[in-house]
Amino acid sequence: MFPVAVALVVAVFLIAPLVIIVPMSFSTALSLQFPPPGYWLGYYRQYFTDPRWLVPTLNSFVIATATMLLTLGLVIPASFALVRHQFRGKSAVNLLLMAPMIVPLVVSALGYYNTLGRLGLAGTHAGVILAHTALSVPVAMLAISAALKGFDANLERAAMSSGAGPLRTFWWVTMPVLRPGILVGALFAFLHSFDETVVALFIAGRKASTLPKKMFESVRLETDPVISVVSTLLFLAVVLAALGALLVHGRRDHAA
Amino acid sequence: MVLAFVLPLLRVLVLSVTDPSVSLAHYRRIFTTPLYLHVLSTTFRTSLVVTAVCLLLGYPLAYVMARRGGRLSGILLVAIGISFWTSFLVRTYAWMVILGAKGPVAALMRLAGFSPPQLLFTTFSSMLGMTHILLPYMVMALYAVMKKIEPGHLRAAASLGAPPRHAFYHVFLPLSLPGVVNGCLLVFTLCLGFYVTPVLLGSPQDMMISQVIAQQVEELLAWGFASALSVVLLAATFVVIAVYTRLVGLDRLWG
Repeated sequence: MFPVAVALVVAVFLIAPLVIIVPMSFSTALSLQFPPPGYWLGYYRQYFTDPRWLVPTLNSFVIATATMLLTLGLVIPASFALVRHQFRGKSAVNLLLMAPMIVPLVVSALGYYNTLGRLGLAGTHAGVILAHTALSVPVAMLAISAALKGFDANLERAAMSSGAGPLRTFWWVTMPVLRPGILVGALFAFLHSFDETVVALFIAGRKASTLPKKMFESVRLETDPVISVVSTLLFLAVVLAALGALLVHGRRDHAA
Repeated sequence: MVLAFVLPLLRVLVLSVTDPSVSLAHYRRIFTTPLYLHVLSTTFRTSLVVTAVCLLLGYPLAYVMARRGGRLSGILLVAIGISFWTSFLVRTYAWMVILGAKGPVAALMRLAGFSPPQLLFTTFSSMLGMTHILLPYMVMALYAVMKKIEPGHLRAAASLGAPPRHAFYHVFLPLSLPGVVNGCLLVFTLCLGFYVTPVLLGSPQDMMISQVIAQQVEELLAWGFASALSVVLLAATFVVIAVYTRLVGLDRLWG
């Protein structure tokens, strides 16, 4: 069948270029050379011992975790307000919360570079976390408000009429039902921050440099072969996560 | 949110007309200097081409996923998911390896007996990289709409005597159009502001607007001019979205 053939070719186009980085990470070549002239593990050792790579990696984890928590703290109450209540200026608030997704990243980056510089937050973890939180709000918002829209408010009414107070109802009824949506939102926020490059390039500076920033600089300035190791690790993490998701999904389908 | 997002954005607006002095000179410079007009036209042309290629490649893929179901559709979905979630720096790096002077494409060309042309750092490599990175967005947008098309409609067309090709052109294609519009909007706006991939893969002669913005700030510290360029980029993005809202309605974007 013609469409199936085209679809398979396009799928190969999506995946094949990524697979090539795996052998690259074991290559002995100093520059971009494929097929590799020989294989060793040296660049893995270099990655796991070099503070110039380890510090940005750690920074990325810290910043992404803080961004995720801060985003959830903002987005959970905000989506309750937007989904459940009608108030004046609601559509304006909605637009405002979605704006970071629409505004091109370079423009946001320029704004942060200037504003955070004035506040003395440029090149600090706090500055990057603040900017990443603003940028992660829309993605997390989409996941959580979708879950909330599908929530049957009668469940809460039933709990209340059975004598549970509002807090207990929220904790024992509302939260468990919304948990999958919140987890997805949290994951989106984390990954969004972990992968974000453009804003980090402008504002992270030396001290709060994130992994994508380090990768970008290494590709642009020196083509450090360690980049292939980092790329392989990131790619394999995604593949493992995809296979894991497939397994969980398959089991759920089986049970149902 | 106002503090963390709107304020920095307003600063860009203010800087664009006040730095170094209060005037509209930056805007005049953008729209009268051939170099910047070239940048603007490159940006739009690149975004158009990338969007069109994404649509051309993405449509059959989404079609098969939506219509076939079963294992094939699952495998394709995983392929798109893996590509989507892999950091775009990783994907850009992969293209540098593939297209590089010592890469597999050049090696194959040498094997076939002719000397490979410059592949990396050209407009072609930059567009190829962007297409590869933005294709999953297009497929997701198309798939979300196609999945909801009732298979019964196509069966009805067939039972009324329409050959499969007619059923596709007169039933499926029109019903999938909202997905086409969503996908094109998404890819086009993302492409307008693309920074990392054109910097790493593209040609210095054919800069996109984001590259010029970054260059103005990082190398020349020309805050005012960079801000004016940002405002132009922002305005262009808003115009595209406004046209979309007129045609479809923004709330439809999230399905």
